[in-house]
Amino acid sequence: MDTFTQIVLSGLTLGAMYALSAIGLSLVWGSLNMLNMAHGALLTLGGYASFAAITQMGLPLFAGLLGAMAVGLLVGLAIYAAVVRFMLTDPAFETNIIVASFGLAIILENVILKLFGAYPFTQPFALKSGLYIGAVHMPYQNLFIIVGSAALMMATAWVITNTRMGRAIRATAQNREGAELMGVSVNLVFAQVLAIGGMLAAVSGVMLSSITTLAPTMGYDPMLKAFIIVVIAGLGNTMGALYAAFILALFEVSVQYMLGVRFGFPALLLLVIIALIWRPDGVFMKPKAQRQ
Amino acid sequence: MAGKIRTPSDIARETLENAGRRRFFGKAAAMGVGGLAGSAALLASINDGAKAQGEPIKVGGAVPITGWAAADGIEFQRGLEFACEDINAMGGILGRPLEPVFEDTKEQGADNLIPAIQRLIDRHGVHAIINGYNTGAVCAEYDTVADAGILYIHHNTDIVHHDTVKNNAERYFGIFMGDPAEYWYGEGLLKFLNGLGEKGLWTRPNDKIAIVTGSQNYSVVIAGAIRDNAEKYGWKTSLFETVVVPISEWGPTLAKIREDPPAVIAVTHWVPQDLAQFMIQFVPQPTDSLVYMQYGPSLAAFREIGKEAVNGVLYSTVVASLQDEFGNAYNNRYKEKYGASASPLVAAQPYDSCSYWAIAGALAGGTGGPGEEAQNRKVASRLRNMIYRGTLGTTRWFIPEQAATPYPDATNDPSLGMPHQYLQIEDHTKVPGLIAPSPYETATFKMPPWIKA
Repeated sequence: MDTFTQIVLSGLTLGAMYALSAIGLSLVWGSLNMLNMAHGALLTLGGYASFAAITQMGLPLFAGLLGAMAVGLLVGLAIYAAVVRFMLTDPAFETNIIVASFGLAIILENVILKLFGAYPFTQPFALKSGLYIGAVHMPYQNLFIIVGSAALMMATAWVITNTRMGRAIRATAQNREGAELMGVSVNLVFAQVLAIGGMLAAVSGVMLSSITTLAPTMGYDPMLKAFIIVVIAGLGNTMGALYAAFILALFEVSVQYMLGVRFGFPALLLLVIIALIWRPDGVFMKPKAQRQ
Repeated sequence: MAGKIRTPSDIARETLENAGRRRFFGKAAAMGVGGLAGSAALLASINDGAKAQGEPIKVGGAVPITGWAAADGIEFQRGLEFACEDINAMGGILGRPLEPVFEDTKEQGADNLIPAIQRLIDRHGVHAIINGYNTGAVCAEYDTVADAGILYIHHNTDIVHHDTVKNNAERYFGIFMGDPAEYWYGEGLLKFLNGLGEKGLWTRPNDKIAIVTGSQNYSVVIAGAIRDNAEKYGWKTSLFETVVVPISEWGPTLAKIREDPPAVIAVTHWVPQDLAQFMIQFVPQPTDSLVYMQYGPSLAAFREIGKEAVNGVLYSTVVASLQDEFGNAYNNRYKEKYGASASPLVAAQPYDSCSYWAIAGALAGGTGGPGEEAQNRKVASRLRNMIYRGTLGTTRWFIPEQAATPYPDATNDPSLGMPHQYLQIEDHTKVPGLIAPSPYETATFKMPPWIKA
C-alpha cells in the first residue's frame, strides 16, 4: 500500500510540475499560434527574480512571488514591443517567431548567467516540513504546487472563456483578420497575452524551482515537457493541458516503477504518438467536422 | 608552517637566498612548505633567479565558462590563472612568463570542444592546453592536439583515454589525463566498504548493494564497475537502476529501494542538485543503508541545497585538493584571492597540471608552440618520468597510458598514486571530513543519523 501511495504522490507531484511548465506556453501558443521558444527562459527568469527579491533584497516570501510576476509581465511585454510587433504582419510569422524566440531564450539565459552565475541555488520561496500519508512523506511544498498548478490552469481557462479580454483573445486565435474587422485590436491582444504568459511562466518558474533547483538551464526540461503536454491536449485547451499533465505523469511514474526509470519518458512519448494518431488535433479537442 | 601563508614570491626568494643551486635539491626535498612545496621551488631553482619578463608563453584552457558545467568551468579558469601567476612569480619557464588564454566549450561534447581547441592552437598559438573536464567528447579532440604537436593535459576522468593513448602512444605522445579514470570509483568503493567492516566501524545488515546510475557514460561506467566487481568483494547487486537526468522526482526509485532495503545505496549520477533532491526525498523515510555518492557532494551546492538531509552521506572523488599541509595552504590562498565561496578543490586540477607542465618544460629547456613537436616531445618525456607532489597528492603516470595512477585502488604506496579520497558529511554547514585513505584522513567514519540500529 505504501508503494502504491508513493507512486500516486510522485505522479501527482510530477504532474503538477508538467502542468506548471505548460500553463504559459499553452496560453501563448494556443491563443496566438506563436510557439514561444523563450518560454523555458521565462520560467528560469521567474525563479531567479524571486530568489533575488527574497535572498538579495531581503523581501518577504510572497513579495518574491509578486516580484517574479512583475518581472515576467514586463519581460513578456518587452518581447512584444521589441520583437513580435515587427513580425506580426509577416505571412511567415508562425515560423519566423520560432527562430526569433529561440534567440531570445539564448539572450535571457546568458543574462541570467551573467547576473547570477552558473552556481545552483535553492529557491527560498518554499514551505517547510510535510505530512505523512501512511508511511510516505509528502512535503507541504509539493501539495502547494499540486493545488497551485490546478488553480492557475483553471483561472487561466476561466479568463479565456468568460471575460471580454478572453473573447478578444479567442477571436484573434480563430481569425486574426476577422477579429480586426470586428474592432479587436490585435496588437493589444498580442501584448496582453504575452504579458500574461510571461507572468504565468514566472510564477511557474518560482514553484518549479522550489522543488528542484535554480540554475540557468533549469528551463530546458520543462520546455520540452510543456511542448508535449500542449500538443497532446490540443492547442489552446488549457483545461485539457491540466488533465494531460497529470495523466501522463501518473503513467510515466507507473512505468518507471514497473519497468525501470529509464523507460518512463520513452513510454510517455510512445503514448503521445498513439494518442496523436487517434486524435491528431489533441486528445481533449473535439474532432473537426469535415465536409464529405 | 602554520600561520602566515607563504606566497610563490616568498618561496622563490627564500630558495634563492638560502640555497645555492647545487645545494638546492637536498633542501627542496625537506621543505614541504606553504602549499607550493619543494616541486614549485624546484622550478624557481631551474629558472636560476630569472625574472619572468621575456616573450610570453601562451597556455590555453578549453573550459565550459557557460553551459551547465559553468560553475566548475569558472573554477578551472581561475585555477589555471592562479597557477600561471604563481609560476610567473618564480620566473615563469626559464624567464618566459606564462599567459593564460581561454576558449569556451559551452555545453561541451566534441562539437564544442574541438573548435575551442582549434582556436587555442590557431588563434593563440598555445604551447599547451590544460583543462579541467569536458564531458562527451570521448577523446575525439586528441587528433586536433596531435596534429599541432603540443601538450594537452585534461581531467576528463575517462577510461577510454587509456586504450586510446596506449594503442597510439607515438601519435598521442603529448596527451595526459591528470586524474584517474572513472572506472576506479567502482572497484575502489567495494574495497572501501569492506575496509569499514574489517576495521569494525560498520556491520553490514546484508550483502545487498543498490546501484543507481545516471544516463551519462561516465556514471554508467562507474555503476558497471561496481556491479561487475561486486561478487568478487562479497556483494550482491539488488537493484541496478538507470535514471534519465536531470531528475528531481526520485519517488519510483526510492519505492524500489524501500521494498528491498540494501546495506548500501550507491548513486553514481553526479549532478549535485539532483543528488541533493535524492537525499531530501530519502531521509523522511530512510532505510538502514549507507548512502554513497560520487563527485557531486564535493561541490558546496550539494550541501547548500540538501541542508540537514545530506548529513551522513559518504562520497568520494579521485581528484580534489587534499586537506593536508599542501592542500590547505593552497586552499586558503585560493579563497583569499577569489572569495570564500570559491571552490579550490576543483581549481586544483589545472593548478597542479600547469605546475608540473611548467617544471617539465623548464627541465626540457623550454616548451614549443604548434608545429614544434620535437621540443614538445622532450617536454612530454620529462613529464612522463616525473612524480609530482602537489595539492592533489601525488601524480604519477600509468605508462604507456599517460593517466594518473590512483591510490589505493592501483598502488598500495601513497607516494606513488593520487589519493582516491573518501569523505563524509557530518555537518552540512562544515567542510566534510576526509575519512580515507591513510595517511590523509582528517576524520573518522560515523554512522549516518538515519541509521538508528
